[in-house]
Amino acid sequence: MNLSLDEHRYGSPSPARADLQDVRDEELIVLVQNGQKRAFDEIVARYKGRLFSFILRMVKDPSLAEELTQETLIRVYIHATKYREIAKFSTWVFTIATNLVRNKMRQRSRRPHLISLNPAPEDDEIPVDPADQEADPTREVQREELAALINAATAKIPEKYRIPFLLREVDQLSYEEIQQVTGLKLGTVRSRINRARSRFRQLIKPMLRNEDLLEELEKIEARAAAEKDNEH
Amino acid sequence: MMNMRCGKAQEYLSRAMDEALPADVAGKLERHLDACAECREYREDLQLGRRLLAGTEPALSENFEWRLQLRLSQAMQQAAADAYYPWDDPRADRKAWFRNFGTAASVGLAAVLALAMFVGPAGRTGSGSVPATVHSSAAQVAVEGGDRLPLDITRSPGAGLIGSGLQHPVSVGNLQAGNSGAFQAPRGWSGERIEDLLTIQQLRVENRKLANQLSQYEQWVNQYRAQLDRADSNALDLGEE
Repeated sequence: MNLSLDEHRYGSPSPARADLQDVRDEELIVLVQNGQKRAFDEIVARYKGRLFSFILRMVKDPSLAEELTQETLIRVYIHATKYREIAKFSTWVFTIATNLVRNKMRQRSRRPHLISLNPAPEDDEIPVDPADQEADPTREVQREELAALINAATAKIPEKYRIPFLLREVDQLSYEEIQQVTGLKLGTVRSRINRARSRFRQLIKPMLRNEDLLEELEKIEARAAAEKDNEH
Repeated sequence: MMNMRCGKAQEYLSRAMDEALPADVAGKLERHLDACAECREYREDLQLGRRLLAGTEPALSENFEWRLQLRLSQAMQQAAADAYYPWDDPRADRKAWFRNFGTAASVGLAAVLALAMFVGPAGRTGSGSVPATVHSSAAQVAVEGGDRLPLDITRSPGAGLIGSGLQHPVSVGNLQAGNSGAFQAPRGWSGERIEDLLTIQQLRVENRKLANQLSQYEQWVNQYRAQLDRADSNALDLGEE
């Protein structure tokens, strides 16, 4: 008998992933609950980028961000049966991710760290990127550099503002969903997002009038739009 | 004249970006923006900030999904291993061993005493004491201590009179699954949890498969690492030249 464990338990083969592209997240997780591994693959395809983007901007370290993204998805799979459709699936996923990120950041903050003899300047005094001061305004700003600048700026937003801000701007969760993920009041969610935006604006202000940078951003957007067209 | 202060207008701008501003407030905000260049610039900056965040989405490494599958396999293995069943618990095994040892010793001792009291006279030489060989059988029971009575007991003087019931080893212990991997019902099994037992068997099979896969993956990883190391050292060599 060569049945997989899923088939042994549930007796039905999983549908192909292509068939699942139009299925809602909440229906996908029900399929996962019924042991259909391909439904989980579809969830991974939908969420891995969003989760990674959110987590990376929280923890800054790409390899740690990948690890936490994987951990989130593994927890989704292992605890799939605990999901009940009282909240949106995305809310549940980002709650898991947010808790993991918070725990990791708490662990990091508890760890003793070396104290520099040259004290770091206050947060407000730190330039967006030290290299920025030496940057030649005429050189072409590459996407990676731009991403590094934006990530550095994002990382300087205090954590309590950054979480709702990223959940809104990067993951496009609604205020109500962010309220569920963070456990904050709706008014607090709104005001924290507003404060984070204001802080983010301050931090990227030096970049905003840089013609090269804006040109690069337009190129990136054009490439992304072309890729989307090709996918369709 | 501006009816709205810039601080409030900027707060509303943030909500307007998220399409969470009531229509009447949105109207007031528009009127403020018409008259306030600073707030118009603020709005442009927020929109540009959003575009920058969207345009610099980080990319995952290429082997992300492969590594996820690997970790998922490990996690599933761990979850299966963590499923608690008394007969899978080594502590339970140890307890059972002690219990079995005690039972075997008691049964052995009782049997030996019975032999001595009822059967012994037929085989003894009239000394009235329990034959030394019977004592040694009891000692052997105690020493071996397994879940089987030793065959030797049937060979002791007088033992031949107790019939053929003890001609073969007597199992007094529980029916544990041995290392052979063959399924046996656990002690106290009532037959009500056959699905559980089959699931455990299935999980064990899955475990073995996953462990094989894992070792295969580990071999690949080591091979790739070795290749990478070689490539790196080649690159360094070229660089030095």
